[in-house]
Amino acid sequence: MQIVEAAGITVAIVAGACAGSDVERLLEADIRLAGDGATFSVSDVRDPVACAVRLTRLLGEAAAKELMLAARTLDAAAALRVGLVTRVVPGGRLGDEAATLLQRLRALPPLALAAVRDAVRAARVLTPAGALALEHDHFCRLVGTEDHKAAVAAFFERRDAAFTGR
Amino acid sequence: MGANAHTRWSLDGSVGVIVLDNPPMNVLSDDNRRGIRQALAEFREAGARAVVLTGAGDRAFCGGADLKEEEELTAETVDRFLQRGDETFRALREYERPIVAAVNGWAMGGGLVLALWCDVRVGSTRAKLGAVGVKVGLMASNVQLSRLLFEGRARDLLLTGRTVEAQEAHRLGLLSAVVEPEALMREAIEWARDIAARPPELTSALKRAVNTALDPVGAGAEA
Repeated sequence: MQIVEAAGITVAIVAGACAGSDVERLLEADIRLAGDGATFSVSDVRDPVACAVRLTRLLGEAAAKELMLAARTLDAAAALRVGLVTRVVPGGRLGDEAATLLQRLRALPPLALAAVRDAVRAARVLTPAGALALEHDHFCRLVGTEDHKAAVAAFFERRDAAFTGR
Repeated sequence: MGANAHTRWSLDGSVGVIVLDNPPMNVLSDDNRRGIRQALAEFREAGARAVVLTGAGDRAFCGGADLKEEEELTAETVDRFLQRGDETFRALREYERPIVAAVNGWAMGGGLVLALWCDVRVGSTRAKLGAVGVKVGLMASNVQLSRLLFEGRARDLLLTGRTVEAQEAHRLGLLSAVVEPEALMREAIEWARDIAARPPELTSALKRAVNTALDPVGAGAEA
């Protein structure tokens, strides 16, 4: 498994067997991609209870219990079904697909991207009201950025925008 | 090991098996509610490491509460009725060892609640899940579905009360496996044995951790 970062977003790319501490790193990534030959096993993670909590928040109770209690090995199709990865591609295309994804992330306005990442991570531990308040804070800040104005201008002029992170 | 008019239970090695036996639809009776609680208490005493819950026959896992019984409820009796259900559901949820539901047919209304409070569900190709509360002007299984699924999917099932067939239930994660009806008990026992083979204190800790993982931080401080 490889963890690659683009514009502050971590992407896990799983080609083969993902087990043990790799699973724990997988769960901390923002986006998870796998080749069709990937397998996943939670049977020897370092901290199974923390892993169970993380999985419940990530996938819901049903999938978390399915994975953690019997600790069976999942193939790529099963991992996709429960949501452990969000995309499975033929193994030979994994490198290209990952490169395309990273390129797309780098083309987005960096401030907005970071705000979305932080808000989604925070939502795991906030009440719905708390999550909404955080979203409003981010919105109020982002609406005044140069990147927002650049994106709106580019939209009306039907061209791509270049973002500066300001 | 034990039985009453509508429930029987036995021990298969380290796995306890409970059968709801009130055919043809295995409508949930007080004998079932009491039977489940008694079976779990006896399994605990006997040191069972996992439990399988299923329905007799191949039409229904559990058809839910008796609509005739529900119709006769009054302001005075409704609390006690809900409480009897809750005691049983809580017994499954709070039982120390994981519980596998073998969903052999219809699981609707209170029967769906029963299946959803189990820890892992496997189904036969005849399994049908229905959050039918709304169809009879009531509410059931909303608490469980909103925890097991994410919001969009939970709303779909709860607001329509539609029937979810085995393959869709598998895709949604409500069933962990779907097999032919004749293979269902073997599959369920296999899941239970896989769980029973792991350190019992670990599987108990994992069940507790998942049960409480979605509780909001500082619960009760905000609406």
